[in-house]
Amino acid sequence: MSQTESQDIETATTSLQTTSVAPDNKTRRYDRQLRLWASSGQAALESSKILVISGSGTSASVLKNLVLPGIGHFTILDPHKVTEADIGSNFFLETESVGKYKAEEEVRLLKELNDGVEGVANTSDLATILKNDPTYLTSFTLLIAHNLHPELLEQLSSLLRSDPFHPPLIVVRSAGFLAEFFIQFHEHTIIDSHSETPPSLRIDKPFPALLDHALSLDLSKLDPTDHGHIPYIVILVKAAHEWKASHDGRVPKTTEERKEFKKYLQSLRVKADEENFEEAEAQAYRVWAVTNVPSEISSLFNDPILANLTPTSPPFFHLLAALKTYTEKEPHTLPLSATLPDIKSDTTNYIHLQNLYKRRAEEEKEEFTKILVANPVQPQTPIDKGLIDEFVRNSHGLKVLRGEKWRAVDQDSARLKEASQSYPSHTAIHLAFSAMAALELKGVQVDHTTPAEDLKSEAAKIYGPFEEIEEEIDNAIAELLRAPNADLPTTAAFLGGLVAQEAIKIITKQYVPVKGYCVIDLISSTTSVIGA
Amino acid sequence: MPRSSHALAILGSGLYSKLPETRVLLVGAGGIGCELLKNLVLTGFGDITLLDLDTIDLSNLNRQFLFRKKDVKQSKALIAAKTASAFNPAVKITPIHANIKDADYDVDWFSQFDIVLNALDNLDARRHVNKMCLAANVPLVESGTAGYLGQVQPLLKNVTECFDCLPKPTPKTFPVCTIRSTPSQPIHSIVWAKSYLMPQLFGEDEEDGGTELDDAEKQGENADEIASLRAQAAAFKSVRLALRDSTPLEEAARKAFEKVFFHDVKTLLSMADMWKSRKPPLPLNYDEITQVAASSAKENGSSPSVNLRDQKQLSLAECLELFIASSCRLALRLRSGEDTISFDKDDDDALDFVCASSNLRSFSYSIPTKSRWEVKEMAGNIIPAIATTNAIVSGLIVLQALHLLRISYFASKATPPTATLRNVNIQFKPSAPLGASRIVPPNPSCGVCRDTYTTVHCDPSKTLLREVIDGILGDGDGVGTGPREVSTYEDKRVLSDPDFDDNLDRTLESLGVTRGKFLTITDEDGDWATLAISICLLPKDHPVDGPHLILPSPTPIPPRKVKAAPASLKRPADDDDGIEISEGPVTKKARTNGTSPPHLNGNGNGTKTFLTKSPSKKQILEDEGLIIVDKDDDVIIIED
Repeated sequence: MSQTESQDIETATTSLQTTSVAPDNKTRRYDRQLRLWASSGQAALESSKILVISGSGTSASVLKNLVLPGIGHFTILDPHKVTEADIGSNFFLETESVGKYKAEEEVRLLKELNDGVEGVANTSDLATILKNDPTYLTSFTLLIAHNLHPELLEQLSSLLRSDPFHPPLIVVRSAGFLAEFFIQFHEHTIIDSHSETPPSLRIDKPFPALLDHALSLDLSKLDPTDHGHIPYIVILVKAAHEWKASHDGRVPKTTEERKEFKKYLQSLRVKADEENFEEAEAQAYRVWAVTNVPSEISSLFNDPILANLTPTSPPFFHLLAALKTYTEKEPHTLPLSATLPDIKSDTTNYIHLQNLYKRRAEEEKEEFTKILVANPVQPQTPIDKGLIDEFVRNSHGLKVLRGEKWRAVDQDSARLKEASQSYPSHTAIHLAFSAMAALELKGVQVDHTTPAEDLKSEAAKIYGPFEEIEEEIDNAIAELLRAPNADLPTTAAFLGGLVAQEAIKIITKQYVPVKGYCVIDLISSTTSVIGA
Repeated sequence: MPRSSHALAILGSGLYSKLPETRVLLVGAGGIGCELLKNLVLTGFGDITLLDLDTIDLSNLNRQFLFRKKDVKQSKALIAAKTASAFNPAVKITPIHANIKDADYDVDWFSQFDIVLNALDNLDARRHVNKMCLAANVPLVESGTAGYLGQVQPLLKNVTECFDCLPKPTPKTFPVCTIRSTPSQPIHSIVWAKSYLMPQLFGEDEEDGGTELDDAEKQGENADEIASLRAQAAAFKSVRLALRDSTPLEEAARKAFEKVFFHDVKTLLSMADMWKSRKPPLPLNYDEITQVAASSAKENGSSPSVNLRDQKQLSLAECLELFIASSCRLALRLRSGEDTISFDKDDDDALDFVCASSNLRSFSYSIPTKSRWEVKEMAGNIIPAIATTNAIVSGLIVLQALHLLRISYFASKATPPTATLRNVNIQFKPSAPLGASRIVPPNPSCGVCRDTYTTVHCDPSKTLLREVIDGILGDGDGVGTGPREVSTYEDKRVLSDPDFDDNLDRTLESLGVTRGKFLTITDEDGDWATLAISICLLPKDHPVDGPHLILPSPTPIPPRKVKAAPASLKRPADDDDGIEISEGPVTKKARTNGTSPPHLNGNGNGTKTFLTKSPSKKQILEDEGLIIVDKDDDVIIIED
């Protein structure tokens, strides 16, 4: 506890008592989040630079949730000065802030949250920067814009869209209890998606050491305690092998055969209540469910970048190319995962099996690495072992997302119509926001006096005839017009959490971010994603 | 534009004008509490009482944004109130650094609030507040987070479910012998180190082997094994003494090591029967381990990198070294005046000790070892916690609170409109971040919210149990149901039943039924619903010679119990106590046996158990539809 957090790494390591394994203060501070995104995610956060455009209450809420977990740098871009109304809806302004620059006041107060984070206030206006210094904008890792005028937003989104290496943009709109956000990105690759589907155990295609181990056991000679501790994986591999031997090398195919196979498993029990055999029966489908490359992964192999791989292509695609070659060889599967699920077994059996899987996974990773370095196109800088390891370990959950430009969905009424089938009220809210943007693009200042009809006719231009969602449209417009520019603290707090969460996913490249417009109705406490 | 303009435009002047006088109780100033306090201040609430018993830890700072590094070790409630007040000096924030379960916070105290918001991290306190709010008839918003998941639930007496209407999982317990002599999983070693060894060496002095062993014996566990465990426990005395007297520290620590990991294991091994079908444990020899360590230290002298220091698997020799070092540090603390040291995941010495001793035990029993990082998560029941989820949840809490207040201020009490109330879950789906469902009416068989609540004011040192029972049951002729056969309880303790009247003439105080507690009266024939009587003190201005007991007026009459009351037959009475009169057929319920608690709260027998393994925790939380807690105390330990 006596250590201070700002000390350098050398002091932190050398001042340690050799007998303590207590973590340093930084690890301690971030303990609860490291358990979610690990040190790789934390490193990505710490090297990120975020630009937030507008110093609204919502912007400050988003930033609070990024400063706390420790991003590297943030800049607030806002040329305005603080008014009385601002301090009522923004926790990061004080009574004394009135009359001072919003950006400067917010940066000062936000920086107090975490002295490991760098914060900068920029009081120039976006229009000037867009004209004179666009490279300033593209030098950030991620940009977030809240309630920005659609004209500027259009320019900004076009700029960021013009080059695949330009950063992503999160567009946030809110009015009272209604809100929506959209993430504009080019291509987003995820290695660790924290997939909830476990990788295959390859019971149907046992690797030689696993098969040998299973066949070496003579179940009938084991004493009853040991018999009850054989992991179901081993039981199934053995039983399947024996079944195939008496069925021309085929696994159980028909319903009849499958029933028969399960009966065979039952006959192997020496006691009625052997839990490992119960498990084997419940998992018997793994014998006939063929392990091959999951379609979500094999579809990635058709990615256009793979066909035109160059030394400057991102490492992800070099790894993906190697994975493609790997799966073209026997046994046509992804590299084996070393992790076993929880199974009924004693410690000795479990550890033995775990070691078999570990060793094999290691061998397959080496095989994969050989393919990678033999690829005809090699990356500019060699890919480090850690990344290979991570890629192989997560190969069953890889993702490639391709985004589109802000408002692209509004040019495609068929997609809007489709969204309105499932989410009528949320689609209507999105249309109300889009109609408001359309009016503003015409130079209209939208406030609570704006006629609902004006918004409605803009919405109709985007959507076409409303038909069955007319009532939802009327409700959404009425609610929007109640306070089209109100930055409500509860909505800001909620959005601050949701948007920061997506920003963290984008920066860490872990977990799958929202694609499409996330529309939020805080009157009914509901969200939907439309136009994904 | 004044600072209130945004909020006013959207809330409407009716509700908005009520907020400054609305008295809010916010229980908890942690992850959710900090966010919530900020939202309340910004929304226009003007009178907030903030209670938390905790002090600030460094690991709070990644989300509890009202705290700075300089505040570490100070009261959460006090610092949060101070920081938040600065942002809106017009708001009155009353911080209280205390436990919500303290006697001071009785039903009278709860009654002063218009709404209660829970921002708690443990099941026990959440249940307590739920019950107090039912007794005081105050609306409550419940909430919790775990990693990316979260939940918000508005609770309104007689209208929605209460927190206990749905069964909650009970934390997993392990058979004592599994922990003490036949561990087979890492969690067994950790529970042993944290809940057995640590208290034995550094906790309060226990006279014998502890009641745990008596219970195990009653349940028919192996008698020899128990006798041996008793002998082991007795031998702790000399080790405890060595740690506390002037024995050189290292020698005392070594003595502890040898007793626990060598002699005790030897003793267990002597019971050959136990090891017939199990792999016997290995006694750990101090000298052998240190010699091996000395020879291998020459080969690799490098220390692990900063980030991974606590994520590394320790070798046997490193565990031994850590055991000695942490025992010395703990012993030194005892010698410098600390009476006892109990496990706290944020206490480095304690965590080092539990990490070292659990892994030594695992080495002895050939169980996989765990890194300090993992031990911390398992022993400290740590749930991942991040700023974003807390922000989302606390935004939702205020929205539900506003809906509840709109109902209590403007709606008819008899038929409150519930269309706006929602139970909201934050889920793990990129396609639908929120899941909202309409509120559910109370569970007709809930053992908490279906009770009839009432309050007595009394001097517990003068009031006899009999006086309360007779007073509440009344004469049946205008007052109460009239005399009937009942049993009484305080929590799960039986105070009286029809065949056990010894306590009737004892004072409430002598029976431990004091301020803040509930006296429960159950009907022996199961004809009447249970009465839950909360005990409050006499009013401050009560005359010295006045009666020592003030009964509620009118005396509440609990509803008659019915077999399965069809919802259509129920109608809420216009009484404030929310009594329901059911008109269905009356049937008798099975007699209670007089020893079982009146409420099982749905978590009695047959509760599922779950497995402790961090990556799947989230999955389990989802699968089981569990309540989610913010952090710390009550993650459910799972078992496979």
